[in-house]
Amino acid sequence: MAKSDDGIRILQGLLVFGNVVIAMCGIALTAECIFFVSDPHGLYPLLEATENDDIYAAAWIGIFVGFAFFALSILGIVGVIQSSRTLLLVYIILMLITYAFEMASCITAATQRDFLTPNLFLKQMLEMYQKSETVNNNDKWMTEGVTKTWDKLMLQNQCCGVQGPSDWQEYMSAFRHTHNDADFPWPRNCCVMDAQGSPINLDGCKLGVPGYYNSNGCYDAISGPMNTQAWGVAWFGFAILCWTFCVLLGTMFYWSRIEY
Amino acid sequence: GPGTPERAFQGFPTNASAYMTLNTTLLNYPCPASPGDITVLRVGSETSCAKDESRPTCNGPLPGPGPYRVKFLALEGSEPVAETAWSKPITLRTAQSSDRIPTTDGRHSAGMIALTSILSILFAILLAGLVAMLVFWGSDACGGSSTFSKPEAVTVQRYNTH
Repeated sequence: MAKSDDGIRILQGLLVFGNVVIAMCGIALTAECIFFVSDPHGLYPLLEATENDDIYAAAWIGIFVGFAFFALSILGIVGVIQSSRTLLLVYIILMLITYAFEMASCITAATQRDFLTPNLFLKQMLEMYQKSETVNNNDKWMTEGVTKTWDKLMLQNQCCGVQGPSDWQEYMSAFRHTHNDADFPWPRNCCVMDAQGSPINLDGCKLGVPGYYNSNGCYDAISGPMNTQAWGVAWFGFAILCWTFCVLLGTMFYWSRIEY
Repeated sequence: GPGTPERAFQGFPTNASAYMTLNTTLLNYPCPASPGDITVLRVGSETSCAKDESRPTCNGPLPGPGPYRVKFLALEGSEPVAETAWSKPITLRTAQSSDRIPTTDGRHSAGMIALTSILSILFAILLAGLVAMLVFWGSDACGGSSTFSKPEAVTVQRYNTH
């Protein structure tokens, strides 16, 4: 009798500890997802223009799920200490619902990450950067977003195109329709700028002389933050869910041992 | 010579088989070259005079993909005193349409497949556990002797028997 009492006490302690960890992880998940949603690198217009911004949806779900984990773990601690069957049953059911939402968020983030390939951004850049004939307001909004984002990207990261400036030479683009090849082999922002924001040597930039134009591509600057976001949401969520799985199994076992 | 209609840029390639452009004086080629100068010449830089018949030596954009040849001439007056050989044929790049870029070649990565399958299995186990809990609600058939009661609020008092 004493042995099983000790066993139950240990199980109680473990469950309380497990719930405390879930509470802290829930807060961390909320904080991480708020950071991602705030879009510190300004890449959201590119995703919006692909008409598939599920990575952001996953981060939004993560904010609310993190908070739900925090609240439910407090309920769980109270239920375990009081050994109340009702409280623990409510806890388990609500936790399973939250689990399902977090699972959706993780899988969405991981799936969408695979969708964001260099070719996707290349096609988007060629079709939308400085497009002049927009069909409707939505198109105009997305085009302006893409143009502003690319201009900022090329200036801040000293890069040009997705894989390099030759992207502008190898493919036709909306930019090419309004800017001829002789004057603008690639956009002005691909040139190395001086402190006042004008190219240090325009002819050198147009010719492609090393040192006067940005010869590397912007793909790393785009995919780096997006990878961090997708994997941050997906794998941190996965870790929380594995831990929650163990705690929930323990809680179910504990619930079945409470005398009715 | 430079500036004649047979060598005008605007007549190239239909009326003139070659055109002369980028004319300058010896002073622009100092020896040694000034540091910081880019020692290259760009063919096709001047777009403003491409259709201007009064500028036959316009350095306008080339009209088609080519192939083209180029040579340098050193002139005294209108007579060449030195020249290079014709270059090898140069063909310009042709841009292809951006519709040809395939965007549907993304396959699912191994990480995503692992994550999805593991999470689905865990969730299924939890749901099975919940169903088992609800089915055996209130029944003591499962391990009746090892259930424990809630901690009693009242303590057992000791009676002193006289």
